Amino acid sequence: MENNLIPWIIALPFASAIAIGLSGRFSTHDKLDEEGIRKHRGMIHTLAVGSVGLSFLIAVKLFIELHNPDLPARVLTSHVFDWFDITIPSASGFRDVPIAASFVLDSLSGLMTLVVTGIGTLIHLYATGYMEDEESYARFFCYLNLFTASMLILVLGSNFPLMFVGWEGVGLCSYLLIGFWYETPEYAAAGRKAFVANRIGDLGVLVGMFALVSVAGSFEFSEINRAASMMNGEFTMGGVALGTTATVACLFLFLGCTGKSAQVPLFVWLPDAMAGPTPVSALIHAATMVTAGVYLCCRLSPIFLESPTAMTVIGVVGSITALMAASIAVVQREMKRILAYSTVSQLGFMFAGVGVGAFSAGFFHVFTHAFFKACLFLGAGSVMHAVHAHGDADIFKLGGMKKYTPITRATFLLSTAAIAGFPLTAGFFSKDELLLGATTIAMNETALPSWLGWLVAISLFLAATMTAFYMFRLYYLTFTGDYRSADHGHDAHGEEGHDEDAHHDDDHHDHAYDAHPHESSWQMWVPLAVLAFGAIAVGFLGLPHAFHLPNWWGHWMDASISHLPGFGPDDEVTNMTPVYIAMTLGVAAWAIGMGLATVLYREKNEDTFTPKFPKPVFNFLFDKWRVDEAYEATIIGGNRGLAKFAGRIDKSFVDTVFTGIPAFVVKMASWLFTRIQVGAVHAYGAVLLVGVLGLGWWFMYPHPTLDVQTSTDSAEITAAPGLGYTYRFDMDDDGNFDFPQAPQALEIDFEDDASRMQIQRVVARVRAAIAPVRWPNDRSALGHLKDRNRRIYELHPPTSEIADLQRILQNVDGVEAIHWHAAGHERVFGDAGNAAFDYNEEDFVGYMLTVAQADGSEQEMRVLPELTIIPDSFFPRVQFEGSPPRVGFDENGRIKIFPTATVNDAGEPATRPDSVLVGGVRQDEPFLLGLGSFATVAQYRMEVFPIVRARVEVRNAFGNTASEEIEIVLKESAPERVALGGEVRR
Amino acid sequence: MEIGLGAYLGLAMVLFGIGASGFLMRRNALIQLMSIEVMLNAVNIVFVAVNRFHPADHVGQIFSFFVIAIAAAEAAVGLALVIALFRIKKTVESDNADTLRH
Amino acid sequence: MTTAGFVLFAISSVIAFFSAIATVGARVPLRAALFLMVHIISLAGLYLTLSAHMLAAVQLLVYAGAVVVLFVFVIMLIGPASETKPTMKNMGIRLVSLIGMILFTVTLAFALVSHAADWVAIETSFGTVEAVGHELYLNTLVPFEVVSATLTVAIVGAVAIARKATEFEVGEAKAARQATIDALEEARQEAA
Repeated sequence: MENNLIPWIIALPFASAIAIGLSGRFSTHDKLDEEGIRKHRGMIHTLAVGSVGLSFLIAVKLFIELHNPDLPARVLTSHVFDWFDITIPSASGFRDVPIAASFVLDSLSGLMTLVVTGIGTLIHLYATGYMEDEESYARFFCYLNLFTASMLILVLGSNFPLMFVGWEGVGLCSYLLIGFWYETPEYAAAGRKAFVANRIGDLGVLVGMFALVSVAGSFEFSEINRAASMMNGEFTMGGVALGTTATVACLFLFLGCTGKSAQVPLFVWLPDAMAGPTPVSALIHAATMVTAGVYLCCRLSPIFLESPTAMTVIGVVGSITALMAASIAVVQREMKRILAYSTVSQLGFMFAGVGVGAFSAGFFHVFTHAFFKACLFLGAGSVMHAVHAHGDADIFKLGGMKKYTPITRATFLLSTAAIAGFPLTAGFFSKDELLLGATTIAMNETALPSWLGWLVAISLFLAATMTAFYMFRLYYLTFTGDYRSADHGHDAHGEEGHDEDAHHDDDHHDHAYDAHPHESSWQMWVPLAVLAFGAIAVGFLGLPHAFHLPNWWGHWMDASISHLPGFGPDDEVTNMTPVYIAMTLGVAAWAIGMGLATVLYREKNEDTFTPKFPKPVFNFLFDKWRVDEAYEATIIGGNRGLAKFAGRIDKSFVDTVFTGIPAFVVKMASWLFTRIQVGAVHAYGAVLLVGVLGLGWWFMYPHPTLDVQTSTDSAEITAAPGLGYTYRFDMDDDGNFDFPQAPQALEIDFEDDASRMQIQRVVARVRAAIAPVRWPNDRSALGHLKDRNRRIYELHPPTSEIADLQRILQNVDGVEAIHWHAAGHERVFGDAGNAAFDYNEEDFVGYMLTVAQADGSEQEMRVLPELTIIPDSFFPRVQFEGSPPRVGFDENGRIKIFPTATVNDAGEPATRPDSVLVGGVRQDEPFLLGLGSFATVAQYRMEVFPIVRARVEVRNAFGNTASEEIEIVLKESAPERVALGGEVRR
Repeated sequence: MEIGLGAYLGLAMVLFGIGASGFLMRRNALIQLMSIEVMLNAVNIVFVAVNRFHPADHVGQIFSFFVIAIAAAEAAVGLALVIALFRIKKTVESDNADTLRH
Repeated sequence: MTTAGFVLFAISSVIAFFSAIATVGARVPLRAALFLMVHIISLAGLYLTLSAHMLAAVQLLVYAGAVVVLFVFVIMLIGPASETKPTMKNMGIRLVSLIGMILFTVTLAFALVSHAADWVAIETSFGTVEAVGHELYLNTLVPFEVVSATLTVAIVGAVAIARKATEFEVGEAKAARQATIDALEEARQEAA
């Protein structure tokens, strides 16, 4: 159903971003007094929070509309404008695929929109408090709003290119916001790293997109998903078969997901992205943007389900990511860094879920994760704000924060419980669903291998255990125990100290934090409270349906996400073993992790556990598995070496060949030209004379240029005028000049007998041209249903695959049978193309297919040659077997056509009589063809034209002569008039 | 012998050739300017003569009229240039007007 | 063509031919100017054979009366220096271009002479001041005004070129020249 409100969800934050961005230049501190700055900031956060909030309200309204029982498909669309057409190759050449700026709000994108705008509003609100000391206030909110708008385009775009606009937009905003404090080189580098890693992934998205489009023939997600069953064909690239289209496309798309959603091997940018302000980490790098990959997989779930190979790869990569990131998080010591690795790990959970076909569960985890991870990041930000830590906060210099920041502590605790999988919290339910998906695969017969299920289940169990452990470690070290920065001097933390910490976050040990932390303002704790409530409550949307509990989530998502057979929300679970195993694993992971952390860290002031790891293990984990170092040594190092090599080439070779040689040439040319530039008037005059002599030479010879003006009753042939020209005309092609003393122009009046008789002979010529009559309008494309309503079909036989033809016929509604009339007999292709038939493209050319329809009517289809006017040798398949009709003359010299050629060019008997139509009537006998009439022989069109061939000879004053010939094809009403007086002769 | 259009055109061509040869041969800027006047006049003859043989209107004569006007302007500017040249070089030899070359 | 017309054409064309040669060939510019006047008058005679009365008058007035006088004034202004000595400088180029020009002229003149056309009967008003003026002011008014503007511009330009520079202008030019030299010097020193 069309709904015009959808674009406004995007337009509001976008307009706000532009307004705030343009206002930024007035906001610098030296231009405004304090009051002015306050007012300006008031305007900025009213706009920023207000626009996103309003978007949220619209999204809620539309989300409620989705529940309308009249809308069983739960899809609202909005077509804003036609964007552009793109020409893609198809089996029959090229065709245009339109791309529209249109948006779709269905159950999937509706929920995602709620998350983006809802959590976005809270984080915008939080940021107004968090960024209060920031000078580039306007810039921050401009980027943040722009991000929101881009994310909404990504989510709501109904087609791939539009989604890609959003995909790139969020990447850009992520880059801008990570490098928000760009004066610090490390932060700018982090932004660049994120950008580059994402570009690698984006290439994958593009390749995947075009792979899908090449088969589906449309960019719309709905069309692509509908064509999922066609994705099993072999996909070749540059002649190399790479696997089925689904596998290739899904793997390339997943490459894009590994970039955007920080999976192995492209996850390295996300921990560094914590260089940005904390609200950014919460909104972009935890709640929304990084889940775009999961969103894409869910959006194209029918395609992914077509490729078990790709699913297996996704499951394995997700598992590895979950384990690896969790193991790193265990030993880290900065708040945001731990949360960042936690995010990577949780994204791994989601992809592992997607990999075992639990799309709905994966997206459920996206949803719950958005709440508790946003809350955790904002809580971390609140703590850092409390102690005036910039960049990141070392948990070993915190401790006992529950005394100073009680609200933050409470919300943080709730979210930690949720992420750790404390029973009945949101994280518990969503993790349980993921584990259930894995164990079900492991223990049931499905398209996916059962080892994948076991692998995912065990990895997720281990990762979940570690998650519970490190999250509670983080909580205990931050909020319990003693405040470990309290005894440090206060002097280092004035306004300068504030900046110092921002720019040297590696020097944690040298600087302690503010000795007197304080609770944050209401703008900051209200979002925390809301998100913490969500972290506890939203899990109840997806109660496990195996126990016949109401599972709202599964039913809701079923409208837009596909699932493996037996995985539906209404399918009865027969085998309860996987359910119990999943539950046991989930609860055990939480119990072990949290129990261990409680024993080791509760009310403790130092880490007594992780330093006891064997040194190499600890260092390996602390150094994040040395992935960055590995990249530095291989890809980056290799690239740098290549750059150095290229630089040397540039200096030696390019500078010589492309700079040195042209410079030398120019130098030589300038030397030459300065010699020519003599400065003597006479020399210039002499050069001028060269041109004058050329002119004289041209005058020496006559130049008759014949020009013809024909009308219905006369033709005028005019030769060009010239000095001293005399003209002689020959009008009948016999070599003798009929008009020896002619004027410059000669007029033939068809009405006037005397004038007409001047043309002593008319040359008639039969002209056969390939002129296919297209059915029923001019445009044709391979097997296209041109117009559904008018039931006009075109078949385009010279296709390479019989399947194409069959598919076309299958897609035509109500086609009963197809009759083929050719070669004097009739063949019937079974019903609706189900029957196989031999397909020889030559048999079809030029003939009719009759399509009988369900309602009893018949429709003719004309089979056309592939190209219109192509030399025969170039396109042999439109040639006649028995050579084109022979042209002869009867005893009176009139043109006679013999439609049936008895032998072909090779002298063999012709196998097929050609159907000849004259005036629409079939002709099998030889017949006479008058001037001006035409006959159609299969795809050949034969016409008879009188042709006047005029030749003029011109003599000029020097006695030089020149002649020119021109052919006038008298096509209009002239022919029959000419025929009256002219003698028709070959 | 009948005098026709050809005679006028031939005469104009010869006069034009004399003017052009003078312009090319002489190096006295004053004489070169006069050669240009001769050439312009030769062109005028063509205009007037052709007009006489196509007497429906006076386009040829009008054109000659404009040519005369432009020739007067050209003479004025050309002679001013000669004076300027003479002031700098103390000569009217056109070969000496090659300062820009260096 | 009437006999009188033929006679006028013969006399005028012969005078035009020789006076043109004398103009371009004269050693002394003053003589050349006088031959140019003769040439112009003979052309006016030719115009009369072509019934271009108005144009013949304009030819005499503008050319003989104004342009030639202008030439004579300039020759007087320049004085003896207006006469140049014959030299062999650039003689190669000059001879080549002369030969080329003669070839071209002869070729084209030969082609043109054979161009035949019949004398057409004309109205008595053809070429009169009234007829030409009518045409000039009715059909070609815009080009006519443009030509007058061109003439004005040419006169202003001629004055600007030919007049002497004032003291102020000389000073300005000297100062500008000095500034350029200084800038170059500075740049040179900086480069060094």
